[in-house]
Order: sequence, then structure tokens, then C-alpha cells
Amino acid sequence: MMHDMKRQQVFIQAAEQISIQQPLSEQWMEEPIRYQDLLVKAINPPFRDYMSPGEVRRMGNLMKRALVTALKVLEETGIEHPDAIITGTSIGSLDYTEKFLDAMVENGEEALSPTYFMQSTHNTVGATLGIYTKTHGYNTTYSHGDLSFDLTLLDAWMQMQLGKIRTALVGGQDEMSELYFSLLQKAGYVGLEGMDPCGEVAMSMMLNCAESPENLCELAGISVGLLSSADQLKDNLTKMLDEAGMTMDDISAVMTGVSGNPANDQTYRKIIDAVFQHMPLLHYKHLFGENYTVSALGVYAAAHCLKKGVVPSFLYDGQSQARCDQPKAILLLNHMKGKEFSLILLKKI
Amino acid sequence: MESIYVTGAGVVSAIGVGKSETLASLRKEESGIRQMKYLPSIHRDLPVGEVQLSNEEMMQMLGVSHNPFLTRTALMGRLALREALEQAGLAGDKLNEVPFISATTVGGMDRRELFYAKEKECDSIHAHALISTHNCADCTEMIADYFGRFASLSTVSTACSSATNALITGANMLRCGMAEMVVVGGAECLTMFHLNGFNTLMILDHQPCRPFDRDRAGLNLGEGAGYLVLEIAASVKKRGVQPLCQLSGYGNACDAFHQTASSPEGEGAFLAMQEALSLAGLQPSDIQYINAHGTGTPNNDESESFAIRRVFGDHLPPISSTKSFTGHTTSASGSIEAVFCILAIQNQFLPVNVNWHTPMESGIIPVMDPHPQTEIKHVLSNAFGFGGNDSSLILSKYDA
Repeated sequence: MMHDMKRQQVFIQAAEQISIQQPLSEQWMEEPIRYQDLLVKAINPPFRDYMSPGEVRRMGNLMKRALVTALKVLEETGIEHPDAIITGTSIGSLDYTEKFLDAMVENGEEALSPTYFMQSTHNTVGATLGIYTKTHGYNTTYSHGDLSFDLTLLDAWMQMQLGKIRTALVGGQDEMSELYFSLLQKAGYVGLEGMDPCGEVAMSMMLNCAESPENLCELAGISVGLLSSADQLKDNLTKMLDEAGMTMDDISAVMTGVSGNPANDQTYRKIIDAVFQHMPLLHYKHLFGENYTVSALGVYAAAHCLKKGVVPSFLYDGQSQARCDQPKAILLLNHMKGKEFSLILLKKI
Repeated sequence: MESIYVTGAGVVSAIGVGKSETLASLRKEESGIRQMKYLPSIHRDLPVGEVQLSNEEMMQMLGVSHNPFLTRTALMGRLALREALEQAGLAGDKLNEVPFISATTVGGMDRRELFYAKEKECDSIHAHALISTHNCADCTEMIADYFGRFASLSTVSTACSSATNALITGANMLRCGMAEMVVVGGAECLTMFHLNGFNTLMILDHQPCRPFDRDRAGLNLGEGAGYLVLEIAASVKKRGVQPLCQLSGYGNACDAFHQTASSPEGEGAFLAMQEALSLAGLQPSDIQYINAHGTGTPNNDESESFAIRRVFGDHLPPISSTKSFTGHTTSASGSIEAVFCILAIQNQFLPVNVNWHTPMESGIIPVMDPHPQTEIKHVLSNAFGFGGNDSSLILSKYDA
């Protein structure tokens, strides 16, 4: 940060999810649902409790899930119009995109309907949240694979440091189709034997500069970079901790995106061996599944652990012996194809 | 805000590869909107702004071997980025400290739609290639990898305002002290997917588009890429490079009105322009040229005219839409048109609004004379996206 800039604290005020766990609830902390299937669709809440029948009919699943999680967060925080709405999605409204492609295959380039196209762009969710809540503030969308959600945090963080915004509704959403799953499976990204299931993601959270005992936790830092070596990551980490006035000893646990897929996990293991040896390790994809923006659910889960002051035993990575009974800070480590990484630091308030 | 300079710019569009071809076309008033040549669509009657190169020709220009899974978006992106980096004197290890923020929406859809019908039975090699083109991030990675290792990568996707929003993210990184230089912009190729999508919305003109004309009947789709190197003052001084211009302000607002239409009063556009002026510390009267979003659809041009009048009152600066040259280059339009604005400032000329004949009722009258009445010091450029993701930026003349 620039030397003349005063550091602005950023808090996670509320966070809600619709995923392969019980929707809009923290029941997963007590009774997590376990799956044997390779592909699991999200558990939808009764959408009609939140929107009109017409909206339920018109909107795709991804949109409805995003909207419901967002509305719940707005209601919990009492913020009608956040200063910014920032969303992250890797494959966007995949379902509608493929439906439009299907129609092009079936009908050629004639007699197509605009419905699927209109909801196929990646900013559909962010823009619709703006339209639905009549929020005219900053509105943008990141579509950057596994780091799509992480970049929404970075954007909000920067604007809060610049004093441009005080509140931001951020979120991550991705769905999964049978066809795309089969491509991802053939390519070895998901659906391998012994791997966590492929899931679906919708998570919304409110970031707020205002201190409050109701906040879930503090977002104490966020850093992204190219993963050329463990040293590079270490440099980013040191800088981030310095700026937060913290040291490695302040980190209670490291939460990673290991998924049981060796191609994915070996990157994490290498970094852990080089930087986080002997530290308590947590994971979340065995509960929420693998999908591009599932890091949003990692951040969500860690935030709720910090709020409740507990780490459920099933969150510990089997490879980790160390434990943290009273978590003070959780560092989330995420990577994309072993080429890019993010570090997200959450701190108990 | 603190000073941010543009120290490199690259552009590829229907009116040329590189700034000098582009400048020549703008000055000669030669539009690049032509009959479809490269896109294998049945809609041959729809004029488009295609980059006049095949994928193979672009691969040759880049010196890379033939690869059917290299997306057209990435190929155009590499050509534009190469020009920007060369101008800024950035290569090799120097990129390690520079974040790259790129914009796209259709990304590699040109590849996926080509193979889509056969996807169900494709093997693992093809599956890998396909999922490595569908994501927007894959295009960013493909563009970046050609040049080396950037500090970080990021992909912004807000439909037709994507590239302007990538620029905003990059500028915020500089202002937060996260980097001394960033590379920002966007790339987007034509695909059958979005050509047909826009066609179902019935907003494609079967004639060359006529932004701000009473008889306008929609937009023409175009394609291309534009990239800018942004740099803080200390770095400009340290490296001894010559700024092309200054980025003095930007704004982002949401129209919050409709998924594919702009509000009649242009609220999002109004707020974005206001914010850009306020950040720049400028008055509307300080702006000597507006590069409008000006798609040529009845809805956009009416809404944008209204919003511009709300900001500028009766004293409108010269305004034009260069989409009459390039077609609507969607996610790349913000950065392509930013390069046009830089050319206008550097060469002190006004890009005219070709194909314009008849004023629309209470619409703005675009500039048809390339000679400015006063020195062009500050230029405002608009980019509005589906869902009302509206953004504006202000570029200013660099005075040493």
C-alpha cells in the first residue's frame, strides 16, 4: 500500500450459500451431507418463498440461487443498496449458454429464441442483482477460472482502501451441466475415483468497513499472483502479513482446496511443505464439492468457523496432525492449474 | 487523483493492425465494416467489422505453429498486446512486477461452437483443449503466456463494457500501490454464438450501422483487441519513458434497469460520466471530444444522447461513435476506443461519425468535421454493457 494511505479495516458482515449442503444454513457445521456421486447438483431452497412465480419461471438456476443468497444477505445486514456489487463466475450461465448452442446445432442459425442468449453473459448475475435491488453503484464481474471469486474480494478491498466504497456485496457462482462435467471428467479436472464430488456454487457475502460485534470476521488481506515458485508465494504472504501487522505465528490454520485429485493436490502439498509445515490444515471441497468458484464457499466456511470460534473435526485435512481449538486467523490458499494462486487472510474479531 | 500515464498502446480492429494503420483509416474516413469473410455464418447479409486476417495469418505474424485450439480472441489479443508492450519497452523479466488485467465475454466460444456438435464423443485430448478454451480466463492466459510471466492475471467480463472495467481495476491497483505498472484492455472475436444472439434480439443492422442517425437500424458486430500500459509518475520518471497521455478519471455505475436495454433517462451512463469528471477534477466544459458508446441501436443512441445532455447541458463538445468504423467490438470496445482517443489527442483531430446523414429527434448531432475548433486536451469515452454495466473514462493530453 502507498505510504500515505491509512489502512482501512474490512469486515465480512454476513455470508449465505446455496450449494450441495443444506441451503441458506450452517447446518453443515453440525451435520454435513456426504456424497458418493461424482456430480452433485446444488440443493435448491423453495425459490417461491423469495420471488414471484414469474421470476422463478423466467430465471435460470444460477441466477435464482445468486439472487436468493444476495437477498438473504441484504436482509440480514439491513443494507438495501450496497456501494458495490461484484460477482465472480468462471463458466457463467453455462446451462443457458449450452441451450443456445444446442438450439444452433438443432435449428442451424435460424429460428433461435433470445431468451437463453440474454442470460448467457457472465455479468448476468451482477447486473440482475443491480436491477433487482435498484442499486446504481459500482458493478462488475470477474470471470477468471478458479480465482473468479477471489478477485471480487481484491476489487472490493482496493476500493475500500481508496475510500471509494464502504460496503460491497460480493459473490461467487458456478453451475454444472452433464455435458460440461463429462468434458471436465475426460480432461481429469473432476469426476475421478476417490475425488471429492463436482458440485455447484452460489455464495453471497457483505463486506463492510464498519466495525460491529455482529460481523463474522475481518478480511485482513488478499493477494493474488503467478505461482512460479514457493518463494514467490512466500513474498506475497510476508507482505500481506506485514501490512496486517501479523506474523506467521498468528495464523491458526491454513485452509486449502485439496480435492483428492492428484493433479490439483500436488500443488498444495508442495506449497504446504515449503511454507506451512506442521501447521493445522483444513479443507472444504469434500463438503462443498469441486467447481471453479468453490473458493467462495471456503471463505464462507472459514468466516463462520471464526465467528463461532470452532473448527468442526471433519474440516481437518487427513494429512494434518496439528489442531487449532480456538481459531484466531485462517489463511485460505487457492490455486488455478498450479499456475496462479491466491491468499486470503481472515481474522477473528 | 494521483497521476496515471499511458505509456504504451496497441490496437487491432477492422480498420487496421496497429496504431498507424488505424490512424490512417480514421483520418481517411474509411470504415472497416464489410461483407462477412471469415466467420462461417449463414447470415452473409449482415455486415461486420472483421479483422482482415485469418487465424493462420495471425499465427504466422506471431511466429507460432498452427494450433486449431488457439482462439481468435487470443490471437488478436497477442497482436495488440505486442504493440503496447513494445511501445512501453516492456519484455521478459520486466513483466514480473506488472499485473495483466484482460477483458472478454465470448472468449474462446469460436472454438467451442466449432466442435460443439461432436463434444459428446470427443476424446480426452480434445476435451482438455475444449475446456481450455471455454473459460474467459483461458484467453487471458493464452494472450499472456506468449510474452512471459506477469505478476498476476485477471479477467473482467461485463459484456460490452468489459475492457473499460479492466482499465478501472488496473488503475485502482496502481492507486492502491499494488504495482507501478499494469497492462489493461480486452480482446473479443466474432462468433456465431453472439452474432446469432444479437440477431435474435433484432438489433443488428443489415446496412452499415449509422450511430445517432434518425434512420439507424441497429448495430454491426465487430471484433478486435486493444491494450494499454498504465504507469505511475515515479515509474515513468525512473524508466525515462515518454507518456502518450494521462488517464485522468473513470467511473462505473449500474443502470439497474433492464437485462439488455438502457433506461430512457440513461441513469447509469449519467452517473458513470459524472463520476469520471469528478475523479478527474474536471468540468463538462473541459472536455473537447466525446467518443460515445454509440452502437447504432435505436435504444442506446437515444438513451446515451439523453444522458450526455444531462451531463453537458446545451454546450455539447464534438461527439462521435467510431463504431461506424469498426462495428461494435463488444468486450474489446472500451480499450480499442481508448486507443482511438489517444490518437485523436496526439494528432489533434476528431474521428468523425461516418454514415451519418439525418439528425434524430432530440438526439445529439455527431461531429462530421475532423478539424477541432479548440485544442483537444481532455477526451471522454463511454462503454455500456448488457445489464446496465456502464463505464466512462477520461484521457488527457500529456504536457511534459
